[in-house]
Amino acid sequence: MTIANVRIPDGKPNGAELTPELVFLEHGPRVYNLARRMLGNDADAEDVTQDVLLQVVRKLDTFRGEANLSTWLHRVTVNAALAHRRKRATRELREIPDPLELFTENGYHSQSPKPWSATPDLLAQNKETTELIEKAITELPEIYRDVYVLSDVEGVPNAQIGEMLGLTLPAVKSRLHRGRLLMRNALAPHFEKAEA
Amino acid sequence: MMTCKEIAELLLDYLDGNLPKEYCDIICQHINLCGPCLHYVESYQLTVKISRELPRTPMPHALVERLQAAWKEIQEMETREEQH
Ligand SMILES: [Zn+2]
Repeated sequence: MTIANVRIPDGKPNGAELTPELVFLEHGPRVYNLARRMLGNDADAEDVTQDVLLQVVRKLDTFRGEANLSTWLHRVTVNAALAHRRKRATRELREIPDPLELFTENGYHSQSPKPWSATPDLLAQNKETTELIEKAITELPEIYRDVYVLSDVEGVPNAQIGEMLGLTLPAVKSRLHRGRLLMRNALAPHFEKAEA
Repeated sequence: MMTCKEIAELLLDYLDGNLPKEYCDIICQHINLCGPCLHYVESYQLTVKISRELPRTPMPHALVERLQAAWKEIQEMETREEQH
């Protein structure tokens, strides 16, 4: 069997010729980064990336009919990362933190939030800040991290995330919200403006 | 009346525009009058924005080489199978 070069309906006017080399170079980083953020470990991410990309290039000829290559890659990567986690069988032992513990019993802010000094474009260009955010993602409990990474980092629609993870839409939204609140809480001490 | 905590619980749906108008009005009013909630909402939105801006880490060179080698091996195996 040879691998057929298929035309993909990826929104480009004539579709693009999809070769294994192109998959490795253009789509590899997407797979690698998603695996890395889900697994929080470079070596595991590399194993999963290799599995996924080889699986993908071997099945390129069955890809016809998939609406979107990135959707397909996300799905294969999520499955591989979840399988890798199961194989590794390391259960998270830490307690899942409550993102709303920063409120008093009466529902007030217990630590009054301050404005942030950071702007989005400035953050993306700053290596130290990038590392800070990546670390906060790694420290999210897995149940929130998967949804958070897929939604807010990768931009996957909530309904698709539900299909990938076997969750209802309300469950996806609830986990996403909690993940966002935990991220906000983790980043706040670094980004809040010092009081004048 | 809604507490600051109740506002925090509804933020995702509020910012997505998925709440009934009565709720939106109450939340909007609260945020306009409550500085801490205003900063809280802004930082929530900023958290989402900066996550979308995170750069992708390039694949390590060794991984790219491993991939190419593995792919070459698969192709060679397939060629050999075809010859038999
Ligand atoms: Zn408030």
